[in-house]
This record gives sequence, C-alpha cells and structure tokens, in this order.
Amino acid sequence: HDAQMDYYGTRLATCSSDRSVKIFDVRNGGQILIADLRGHEGPVWQVAWAHPMYGNILASCSYDRKVIIWKEENGTWEKTYEYTGHDSSVNSVCWAPHDYGLILACGSSDGAISLLSYTGDGQWEVKKISNAHTIGCNAVSWAPAVVPGSLIEQPSGQKPNYIKRFVSGGCDNLVKIWKEEDGQWKEEQKLEAHSDWVRDVAWAPSIGLPTSTIASCSQDGRVFIWTCDDASGNSWSPKLLHKFSDVVWHVSWSITANILAVSGGDNKVTLWKESVDGLWACISDVNKGQGGVSAVTEGQQNEQ
Amino acid sequence: MKLKEVNRTAMQAWSPAQQHPIYLATGTSAQQLDATFSTSASLEIFKLDLSDPSLDMKSCATFSSSHRYHKLIWGPHNMTSGERASGVLIAGGENGNVILYDPAKIIAGDTEVIIAQKDKHTGPVRALDINVFQTNLVASGANESEIYIWDLNSFATPMTPGVKTQPLEDISCIAWNRQVPHILASASPSGRATVWDLRKNEPIIKVSDHNNRMHCSGLAWHPDVATQMVLASEDDRLPVIQMWDLRFASSPLRVIESHTRGILAIAWSTADSELLLSCGKDAKILCSNPNTGEVLYELPTKTQWCFDIQWCPRNPAVLSAASFDGQISIYSIMGSSTDGLRQKQVDQFSSPFGNLDPFGAGQPLPPLQLPQQTTPQSLVLPLKKPPKWIQRPVGASFAFGGKLVTFENAKSQQQPGVEQLQHHHVFVSQVVTEKEFLARSSQLQEALQSESFVSYCQKKIDTASADFERNVWAFLKVNFEEDSRVKYLGLLGYKKDDLRKKITSTMNNEGLVDADLKETFSESDESVPDKGDEGHTMEKQFLEEGMNDCKQETGDLRSAKKTFNISVIGDVDGLITQALLMGDFESAVDLCLHNNRMADAIILAIAGGQELLSRTQEKYFARMQSKITRLITAVVTKNWKEIVQSCDLQNWREALAAVLTYAKPDEFAALCDLLGNRLESEGDSLLQTQACLCYICASNVEKLIACWTKAQDGNSPLSLQDLIEKIVILRKAVQLTQASDPNAVGALLAEKMSQYANLLASQGSIAAALTFLPANTNQSNIILLRDRLFRAQGELPVGQESFKFERQPIPKGQAAPVAGQMQRPQAPAQQYYQQGDSPPPPGFVRPAVANPSVQPPASHIYSQAGTRPGYPQSTLPATGDVPASQRTGPQNGWNDPPVLNRAAKKKVPDNFLPPVPITSPIMNPLVDPQSQAALAPPTGAPIFKTPHVPAGQPVLQGGCSPAPQSLGPCIMPPAVAKPSTEEAPGAPVGNAIQLVQALPTEKITKKPIPEEHLILKTAFEALIQRCLLSASDPQTKRKLDDANKRLEFLYDKLREQTLSPTIISGLHNIVKSIETRDYQEGLNIHTHIVSTSNFSETSAFMPVLKVVLTQANKLCV
Repeated sequence: HDAQMDYYGTRLATCSSDRSVKIFDVRNGGQILIADLRGHEGPVWQVAWAHPMYGNILASCSYDRKVIIWKEENGTWEKTYEYTGHDSSVNSVCWAPHDYGLILACGSSDGAISLLSYTGDGQWEVKKISNAHTIGCNAVSWAPAVVPGSLIEQPSGQKPNYIKRFVSGGCDNLVKIWKEEDGQWKEEQKLEAHSDWVRDVAWAPSIGLPTSTIASCSQDGRVFIWTCDDASGNSWSPKLLHKFSDVVWHVSWSITANILAVSGGDNKVTLWKESVDGLWACISDVNKGQGGVSAVTEGQQNEQ
Repeated sequence: MKLKEVNRTAMQAWSPAQQHPIYLATGTSAQQLDATFSTSASLEIFKLDLSDPSLDMKSCATFSSSHRYHKLIWGPHNMTSGERASGVLIAGGENGNVILYDPAKIIAGDTEVIIAQKDKHTGPVRALDINVFQTNLVASGANESEIYIWDLNSFATPMTPGVKTQPLEDISCIAWNRQVPHILASASPSGRATVWDLRKNEPIIKVSDHNNRMHCSGLAWHPDVATQMVLASEDDRLPVIQMWDLRFASSPLRVIESHTRGILAIAWSTADSELLLSCGKDAKILCSNPNTGEVLYELPTKTQWCFDIQWCPRNPAVLSAASFDGQISIYSIMGSSTDGLRQKQVDQFSSPFGNLDPFGAGQPLPPLQLPQQTTPQSLVLPLKKPPKWIQRPVGASFAFGGKLVTFENAKSQQQPGVEQLQHHHVFVSQVVTEKEFLARSSQLQEALQSESFVSYCQKKIDTASADFERNVWAFLKVNFEEDSRVKYLGLLGYKKDDLRKKITSTMNNEGLVDADLKETFSESDESVPDKGDEGHTMEKQFLEEGMNDCKQETGDLRSAKKTFNISVIGDVDGLITQALLMGDFESAVDLCLHNNRMADAIILAIAGGQELLSRTQEKYFARMQSKITRLITAVVTKNWKEIVQSCDLQNWREALAAVLTYAKPDEFAALCDLLGNRLESEGDSLLQTQACLCYICASNVEKLIACWTKAQDGNSPLSLQDLIEKIVILRKAVQLTQASDPNAVGALLAEKMSQYANLLASQGSIAAALTFLPANTNQSNIILLRDRLFRAQGELPVGQESFKFERQPIPKGQAAPVAGQMQRPQAPAQQYYQQGDSPPPPGFVRPAVANPSVQPPASHIYSQAGTRPGYPQSTLPATGDVPASQRTGPQNGWNDPPVLNRAAKKKVPDNFLPPVPITSPIMNPLVDPQSQAALAPPTGAPIFKTPHVPAGQPVLQGGCSPAPQSLGPCIMPPAVAKPSTEEAPGAPVGNAIQLVQALPTEKITKKPIPEEHLILKTAFEALIQRCLLSASDPQTKRKLDDANKRLEFLYDKLREQTLSPTIISGLHNIVKSIETRDYQEGLNIHTHIVSTSNFSETSAFMPVLKVVLTQANKLCV
C-alpha cells in the first residue's frame, strides 16, 4: 500500500496487505531484498523513513492499530518500538523534519493523531490529539523546518525559532493545520474545501520561498493546492488543481517542490507543475514502467 | 463508535452519494407509537456535521406531513441536471401511497415540497428501491404482491414487472440488481424471493428455502456479483442470512447464523462488498462478511432492537440504525475511542422521556438497560478486516534524485470463496522535466571539463538574444583573454585605434572640438602625453614671456611701486611681479588664480615646488567646474574613488572605463565593486542589471549573484541555469587570472550552487550535481547535500555508511549510548547545525591546502597522513603556546618546542579524527572526547612530565622515550580496537594516527625534516648502523643505540628549522667527511662547530655526534 525511498534514494521500503514491510536495495537499478519485516497483524498502510542522522529507521503503521518503528543495527532490522495507543487503524505516519528531533506523527481512523518523540534510551514520549478528525485521520504531513522566505531574507546566522507545524486530512473532509505551542498541539487552521474524505495531504518542501504550500486530495476527486503567503500562517487560500473523475489517493511533492505527483483511483499517476502564471498544468501521465526511464518491477504476491 | 443520535422513532434515508453535505432524512414511522401516542407525522432532515464533536444532530428542516411512513428512500434523480439540487426523497406511506418530495425545498423551508403523490397501491408501501443505473426508476412493493415500477420522469402511470406472483402476499423488500439494470428482486415474509427480468416482463427465478421457514425481512443484491443476493429472516426460529447464487438456485450458497433471534434489517455496503450489516431482535448490530460468513464487527449497541439500518452512501464508514426505543444512532464502523462521548450518552439515558418504552404506556424504562452495564464499550474491537475504502490502491511518491516510486494493485476479479491473488507492482521511474535545463547544464560541464571557456563564452555570445546577455558573456569571455582590461574597454566602446583616428581628426579640424564627454573623457587616456608636450612648449613660451616681463618689471620697478597704493586693481601684473621678485610664489599664484590667470598660476606653481603645485591644482579644480575637469582631477590626483562615487550613473560606462584604464590592480576590484554598488542601489532597474558587468570586472562572485538574483526574479530552472553558467565561468576566470583562493565560497554562492545541484539531482543528474557542488566549504547545507548525492549514487562501500550524520554528535562529547545512533533527538539536531558555525572537521583540511608550499615534499610519514583530515604544517617560528594550540587550531601546535609539540599533535588529530565507529556503536565512547579527556590525563601525565624537564635540560632526554613507549600497551587496547580502516595495520603511519595518544614515539608524530637536510639524518643513521655492525662489545653497541636515539634531538631541531645556518653547514660538512670516511676531519669540523656556536643550541646533540664520530673512527667503518 505504500512504497517509499529512503533519504538517498537507494533503498525502497514497501508495505502491503500481506502484513509485511519489505526493504529493497535499489541501487544502480538493481533490486535486492534486504529485509522482510514481520510484526504487524494487519495490512500495513504506510512506511516512513527517518532522517539518516538518526540511523536507519523506518516507521510503519497498520490496520492492526499499531505503529512499529524498525531500526537497522549491524545490518539487521529489528523492531525497536511498538506503539499501540490507537483504537483503530493507523493510516499514516510521517517523520518530522530532522531539525526537531526524532518525532513521528501518526494519524488514525480513531480520529486521533499521536506524536511520538524519542527522548533517548529507547523511550518515546507520546502526545495525543484526540478527535483531530471525526471518524478518522487519513494523512499527516510535516511542514518543513524552514522559516518561509528564508531565501530572500539573508540568513542571519542564528538559528531561527522554528514553529513545529503539520497538516492532517481526514474523514471529516477537513484539512487541519496543527501547531505546537508551549509543548501542546493546537489546531491552528481548519481548511474547508473538500466535499468528501481527504485522502492525503502533503506539505511541500520549502526551497526558501515565502509561500507555504500544501496539497490535499480527496475522495471527491479534487486536488487542492493551498498556499499561505504570510509568515504567521493564518491565511490559506485554496486553488483547485484539477477535479478527477475518481478518488485521488495520494499526492507527493518532488524534492524541489515544483512537481506534484497525483495518484488517482483509476490507477493513473499524473505529474503537475505550476506555470509561471500560477496555473497548474499536467505535464505528464506516468504510465508506470513505460514512461519512466528506468523501471524496477517487482511482483509481490499478496494474499488477503 | 457512535457519532450522533437523534431521538426520533422514524424511518431514515441518507442523502445520495452525490449530495454534499450529507443529510439524513427521517420520516415518522408508521405502526409505531412513541410514549406520547402522537399520531402526527413529520419529515425531518438532519445534517451530518462531523466537525462538531457533540452527539447532537442539527435539524435542518422539518416538514409536517399528513402521512406516516413505512419506507423512505432518497435518490439522486435529476441532481446532475440541477433540476432537483438534492435529488428526490421518496416515501412509502400507510395507505398505499408513494410520495415524492423535493428535499432541497424542505431544507429551504418551502411549504410546497411534494413533487408528486400516487395512491396506487392497495396496502402500506413497505418496499422501495431506486435503480442504480437509471435513477429515475423506482420500484415499490406493497400488499397483495403488488409491485410497481415508477418512472420519475412520467410519474403518473407505473409499470408492473410482470404478472403478480401467486399466492398473493405482502412484498416486504424489493431490490434492483447492482450490476444488471433490468433485474429486480422482491421478497415476501413468506420467505419467497422472486427475481424479475423487466425486459421480459416476467419473473425469471424464484428462490425459496425448502422448509419455508424463512421470513424475509431483508433482501440485498451483491454489490459486485450480479448473480448473488442475500435474504435475511425475521423468524426467531431461523435467524439466518442466506446467501444465494442464482446460478445454483436450489439451495443457499451460504447460511450465516450469527444472530440468535430474528433479523429485522440488513444493509450491504456498496463501498466494500465484504461488509454486510444486520440487526436483529437479539439487539445486536453485526457486520459480517457475507462471502465468508465471518462476523467482522459488532457495534456497541444498546439493548434495543433496531428495525432499520442504512449505510451512508457518501461516507462509507458511517451507518445509521433506527431502534424501537425511538432513537436513530449514527455510528462509525471504524472503532474509535469512545471516552469523550460516553458521558453524554449516559446523561441522555438518565434524562426523562429519553428512555421511554415505545410500546409501553409511557412508563420510564427501568435503568438496568444502561448500555455500559451490558456492553463494555471500551473493549470494542475494530472491524476485523480492513474495509476496502482505506486500502490505497495506487500511489506515487517522489524520492531523492527525481525518482518517482509508483505502486499499484492490479485489479483482480473477485470470486466468492476464492482467495484473491493480487499482484503489486512497484515502479521506479526517473522524472525529467527540464530537458533544456539539463542540456545546457551538460554543455556547461563539457566546457568545464575541456576548459574551453572562451569558445563556450563565444557560443553564448552568438546565441544570446538580448543585448545585455551578450554583454555579460562578452565580459566573461574577456576574463579568459590576454590583456583583459583593454578588452573590457573595447567592450565598453573604447578602442584605442578609434580614438586615435578621432583625435587626429579633431586636431585637424580645430575648433570643431567635439565636446562629447565620452570622447574627451577617454581622450584623456591617450592625450596625456600630448598634453605634456603641449605643456612643455607652453611652459617655454611662458618662461620666455616671464623673462621679458621680469626685465620690464625690473625696469619699471620703481614706477610700479609708485602706483601700488593708488591702483591695486589696475596693476595685478605688478603685484605678481613683486611677489615673484620676492620669491613669494604662493602669493603670486594666489594672485594669478584670483584673476583667473590659470595658466600663469600653474606655471608659477610648477616653479614653486610640488606642494604648491598640488595645492594649486586643487584650487584650480575647485574653480573650474566643467565635467571634464572632474575627470582631469581624477586623472591627476588619482582619486578614482571620487569619480566612481560621484559620477552620473548614466555615465557608468565611462566611469568603468576610467577605472579599467587607470586603477591599480589592487584597488581595481574594489572600485568596480563600488561602481556596481552604486548602480545597484541608486540606479533604475536597467542600471541595476548593468551592475552585473561591474561585478564581473571585479570578479566578485557573491555580488554578481545577489545582483543577478535581484534583477531576474522568478525561480525557474532556466534562469537559475543562466546564473550558474555565469557564476561558474566567472569563478573559473578568477581562478585563472587572479589566483585567489577559489575555495572561498560565500553564503550566497553556496546557496545558489546547492540550489542548482538540487535541481540537477531532482532531474536525476546526480553525478553532474556532485561536480557542481563546491568541494571545500563548510556550509552545512552543501556538506549535507554532497553527502546525500554521494550516497545516492550508491557507490559508497557499505562499511563507510553514515559517516556524516554520526559525526556531529560524537565530537561534541555527547554520551553516545551503546544502543547506537539513536541519539537524544534534540541535541544532535542542534549540533548538526552548529556544524556551520563552529570550525568543523573538514576545516582542518583547509590550512593544509592553503599553504601547500610550506610542506616539505612529503616524507613518507606525511604523505600518508595527508590522506586523512590532514594536519597543517607551518614553518613559522615557534610560539610555544601549547595549550592554546590544542584548542584554537592546529597551526600553532607545530611550532612548539619538540616534545610539547608532540603532545599537542597527539591531541589534535585525536579529537578531530573522523569518527571511526562507522558501523559499530561500541566505538563511540572512545571517540567521545570527554571520555577521552578522562582517559588522557593518567596516560598522558608521565609523558608530559618527562618532556617538560628536557625542554630545559636536553641532555637528559635520551632515556625518556622508551619509558612512555612502555606505557603504550596499556592504552592500546581501546585504540587498537578501532579498526584501522585506512591503512594496513602494520604500517607505521596507520598506527601513528590511531595511537597517537598512546605512543609518543618520535617517528610517528613529527613533521618531516626538510628535504635538503634529510641527508644529515640518513648519513648519521647509516654511520651508526655501520658502527653497530662492526662493533663487537655490547657496551659500544649500547652507546651507539643511545646515540642513535639522542640524535633525534638533532632531527627535531632540523624539523623546527631552529638551527643557525653555520651549524647546519657545519653538519653538512661533517656528512661530507663521513662520506669520504674521513672521520678525523669530521671531528675537527665538529670541534669547530662546538667552539663557534651557542652551547645551548648544540648541547643536545653535538656530544652524541662526537661519540658517533669517535666510534666510527675507532672502528674504521
């Protein structure tokens, strides 16, 4: 149900309904199974790589209500932490920017969002936002740890005071922005535009421009690009990227934040790019394996 | 999880999937009375507001109806056309009526909400269903086997699906097939189900259990499989759900017996065909997989029966259940924390009237029916099987290097009972969006590799479309050419040849002097010598005149004096003469100036000496305000700053030309900068861009970037490419022409370059990105990016992984847990970024690179050390600040007195050794400087102590070094445990660096002896060896051994280069004598050295040398 490359793009983690998490080495176009991680008792929905400065760490979340954090030690992958604080399927995991430390946000169908922070010595501190999204949170995505506009304002040398933020999308059709204040997570913004479940949200990586950008996609087939120009982060305005004929499951920004990959229920992946005049245009349909330059095909058999 | 509840005894219908927001319509249920015995009826619409956490549902509209309802459905008919914004609400009434309501009007509060109404049926209409393919078709069923098909477009006359089934019986359920539009099924309490084909207008199959004990309360078609349907039985004796497949219609495919009493209603999820809801008289609401019979979920319900249950079409996780206790509850199928909601629930139950028995006489129900006593909600397990709607079938995520990872689940046909076999494919594709960008980038790379900068620039000039662009490239090109300043001038429009022509023509046409500033301005450059000549001739003339004047004046002296008091104005000449006569040039000049006799003034000033001349020049310039004067001023006074600062910006070209012509090399760049600054800050946008040219002349990369970025807004890759092309070329030029340190990377440049590399990487050109990243920089972002790129190439050996990220925490002395790299999250993050601020390990490479010339050409010791973060070397005189050297930087350390110096060396490389514990976290504590600090004193103490003494009394040193060496083993274990990754374990240097702390052996930690003196060492050592070979008695051998060691002091001095030249030359002479085996001569020289030099300088080694020479002489080796 998910496939994510690590920080360097050399390893691929996949997860599926067969309850497994698999890690492949995909360097130089090859494909070697490094690890097959077992531990979930239900379909595994999402995986997320932590920043390599903390080691090789992978988080996975599953329908079995668990979040498992895996870690590679001496070449073998092992479970290092299991979080069972959710009452329902955990649908999304996302690591915070490495600047904040090792923090994992987890969104669950029980409507809550958990924030797991590593406090050292194998201990994790849990903060839970109950009822973040009624009947379920489908996606979480962190804001980059960059002050908007840092490219234009000359770097002053001192570390700016980052405000931790993340965005979530849920079954209440809302996109919500959360912000940490005095160690507590508070709902900062409630973005309403979708008329059905928000399936995925993605905060664009910052390249130092003053605008913060979030993409959200929904069951209703719509993909919105939310932008916020002011530093306080209060005024978000949506722009409809496109209305698809089917559910849009996933949105993903390229590292340079200028291309958005949209995956729809019709099994199509399209790439979108903002033109100079601010209009979003579809630049390519990715016919998996054919459009790409290199294609690694992997036939995973999956029993349900 | 219960989401909402409404206290109504009512039939319910969800708004269709197309409707947003979601509404729930309730119509007062027929044949049920609540405790008020009210017979009034109403139709209400509630809005499902999930953002409101409370249990209440907001009623949007109420419509008082004259009917009570048996069935309520809500269809999307005409929704898309906009005629009915919210579709059509269809109700089955008590008296055989089918009523169509317009829910949009109800919500709006209209009174005329009924679209149409027909009383065609003979009994209560209990069954209604809308065709999913043709939403205008509605089937209704009532008593006496009556089935009608209504077309909402022509509602007046319903059709029948065929002849009524016999015997006549009530129709309790009716359902359209989900796959085939013309198939309809009906069921009756008798347990018989009939399938109709509307094209044939007849029943095509009848399904019934043999024993006829089914009492059909529910009928539902399989959402995906056309031939399957389920029937639910209300009979307590047979509380089953039967699954039928019409391909095998003689007996049910499967019988689900999960309820203990009769089933009152079922609902099959359209979103996931493996979810079938059923509610029964056992007060349970179950969700089961009808394909397997497995119960997946039991809703946390009350003890009351539910008579109606519905999935929300739009929100697949939401369902509603109407119970006989007068409540409609809305649940989420996804289990959830109930904590927040339970309290409220309890409150509601304890309130009066909320819990009245609907069948009773208004008696409050006994409180024993409180839910928490019967169903422990907190233990609710979620649905055993993940519903389809949360399974992501497809996805695409970007990864580093422009890779796109996509996955999909190939759709597979579902067959009941057959295990699904799904194939998942994951694809990795390279996304390339900026073809032009890449092409240009590779061009640039080619140019860089082939060093064909000029042709590259030329190509750029040829292809440039805008003038400015062409200019910039031309300027850049000039950087690579000979005589760049002249060419710059040419580019600015000044060519010497042209100028000459112009000047000659000007000379020829006297009086037609072109006053155009431009020419005149540049003329100055050429015409200075001419002017000089003119000046000379003029001077002569003036002098002659002056002489004449003098003669006259002397003649008229008296008369002049006479008139002096009378007419001052009239006879300035006289005054000047007087002044001249008295040698008072200053006054004379003043007078001349006063009278605007500039030429006179200057001539006089020349005579009056340099000081006066310059003062006169000043005054002259102060008075003459023409533009040209300013220029001349600058030329004469060489004050170009003034020109640059004050010239009219429109004349920036001229200013730049002047600077190009006159400015000294050392101030040239600064002046160009200054001009650029002015253009940038004061000029309009056009001039601002021209500032770029100035910066190019000044070779100021940083400013160029800033200026360019300002001028070219927009972040498109191509404009970045534009910039990078220029920057890269300019940097190359700077490297070539000015030999300045090209490694100094400013913040802006770093930013841009990393941006560029990022972009390249995102297009998949990781290797190219790496080449463009400046290598020697401590900008953290670049270091990070380099590392990322490097590893993304997948070329690093596995063993070297993660050197970058673990590096930071370790030198900071954080207690590195054995558990490994999982550091405290906060702390490493900070350190990680401090990298940019504090001198980072890579910085150590720099000093070494910066003065490579100082390094003696690599003795083997150094050459290997150089491969690691090198130690810089310096030949500066010793400063002796040992502790400081350990902290502030390595340079000082090398100049300290030998032994202490060694101590310093020991510390430095150790502290900054790139962490070896690459793979094994166990190593971390060892590299941790704090623990190291703790480790060092005990071991270091003896080492330090002994050397301190000899520093003053060098003779004693001889025996010292073995002692610390013996300490080695006890310190070695930790050090040795670090795998020597780079050198072979046996190599002395490898050990040297690994064990520096432990082993202060001379060979290891010292810098090399200057090459020219190396011969001393080899010669002495060879001599000692020869002696040793021929020496027979152990005492002599010991002596020689000792001498060998002691001579190290000599070598140390050589390394420090502290010996005076006479001693050095003397030593060389000794070596020559050794070569000729004339030891006696050597001894003579030795005596000479000792007698002529400072004892303290030589006492450490000369006696030893004498011993050696004497022995050699004795042994005749």
